[in-house]
Amino acid sequence: MEARGIPAVVLGTDAFLSLARAQSAKHGLPHLSVALVSHPIGGVDPAIVRGKAESIVDEVLTALTSDPTPPARLAAGAGAAVDEVPDDLDAFQAWAMAERWSDGLPVLPPTPGRVDRILGGRASRRHDVVATLAPLDGAATLEAIAINAALAGAAPEHLPVILAAVRALAEPRFNLNAIQTTTHPCTPLVIVNGPIAGRLGISGGPNALGNGHRANAVIGRAVRLICQNVGGARPGLEDRATLGHPGKFSYCLAENETASPWGPLHVDRGFDAATSCVTVCGAEAPHNVNDHASTTPEAMLMALAGTAATTGSNNVYLGGEPLVILGPEHAQTLALTGWSKAEVKRHLWELIRIRLDRFSAENLARFATIDPAAFANRPGDAEIPWCASPEDLMIIVAGGPGKHSSLVPTFGATRSVTVAIEA
Amino acid sequence: MRVLSPLGATPDTVKPLAKRPPSLTGLRIGVLDNSKPNADVLLARVAELLAARAGGVTIRSWTKPGSSRPAMMIDEIASSVDVLLTGSAD
Repeated sequence: MEARGIPAVVLGTDAFLSLARAQSAKHGLPHLSVALVSHPIGGVDPAIVRGKAESIVDEVLTALTSDPTPPARLAAGAGAAVDEVPDDLDAFQAWAMAERWSDGLPVLPPTPGRVDRILGGRASRRHDVVATLAPLDGAATLEAIAINAALAGAAPEHLPVILAAVRALAEPRFNLNAIQTTTHPCTPLVIVNGPIAGRLGISGGPNALGNGHRANAVIGRAVRLICQNVGGARPGLEDRATLGHPGKFSYCLAENETASPWGPLHVDRGFDAATSCVTVCGAEAPHNVNDHASTTPEAMLMALAGTAATTGSNNVYLGGEPLVILGPEHAQTLALTGWSKAEVKRHLWELIRIRLDRFSAENLARFATIDPAAFANRPGDAEIPWCASPEDLMIIVAGGPGKHSSLVPTFGATRSVTVAIEA
Repeated sequence: MRVLSPLGATPDTVKPLAKRPPSLTGLRIGVLDNSKPNADVLLARVAELLAARAGGVTIRSWTKPGSSRPAMMIDEIASSVDVLLTGSAD
């Protein structure tokens, strides 16, 4: 608006100043007027909010009627500057924490030699920009990506998977700006398909979402550090997550293609089985579904549907593509009578129904402004689905022996993105 | 030990802000609600208080389809208002 000659003021809450400042600086307007009231304004009585308006009206009036002083030109973003750091690893970790480079766990020093090793044959193209990442529009050059991979402890062979994930994150339909800055806990979940998973030891087997697999750990961690350091989403500053979740350290697994009764995710999305792919989802933490007893497909759906049909996920009012990670034994039971993956999606989608009288009146009123067809002026016994269509349910098969599956709701206002991994 | 910085190079341009009017009297105030809960309440009240002080102003409001989605009505707003209030936060 300012660029079109319209003076503007952004009203915000004090808790979110760092984010408002980051967003305005990205658009070349670090001096944009921001008027702050005390946090929060949502979830409180409207009379209190009207009272807060009184406290800022003078400031807003001044901001709209007097020309601000333009700030000095900002210093250029760092972009692979060289820093002299302590040789001692514990002292280096303390230094990395102070610089906000780390996720809290120890990082390995991204020395020029280690970064060159990770870049390998790409070293001559180190300044090529792979993507521009929100919220700060940071330039994800090959070098910046490799530096974060070095911090995360990744090996050279992991770089192609990390590069593909970065390209996927930057697709507009992923909505990275919102994913990075929301109060929702979401973070990119990286799903790997195709032969590269076996080659690199990216686990889709026992404890695939847990600890113990180097490739899963360092690929997911590198992607997360790139989001933080290159995109510019520092926890508690631009990254406004209320709680976050443990997957924000690292969140990566492979599909267990050999244990699946169906074709893999990347083939559903039009890629050849032999093409290795990465899919990113803006994902919550996984929630377990325990079913040790059901022996028929119809029975197996019940615990999955019952666990999914909750009122607190973003998907219920924003749509998107919630993910079902079926343990191989659950998947085999669902396929027992010949159901295809599409048929499982349809049966499961039809069974996941949430009655409107399970939502608070305040939530119903809010959701009705966003999705009137589902929420406005409907009786309490009317039901809504988990997402817009059976096709929007994502299903992969992963894990080892056992009778567990996982449900992963998403941020909602995001679409998962699948891209091929370039060698 | 020497290490490379993992931070991404970010845009460093600074654009000028729009020229401010000396007062709001007789102007058109736009309100762009980011659709966060109570943002409409705060924005409407601030606009109302500004109108009470300036006199002769008109207020027109738009609502973004969702806080996490970009506003689609930017052109319409730019041609319909003289100053704009909007929101960012919870």
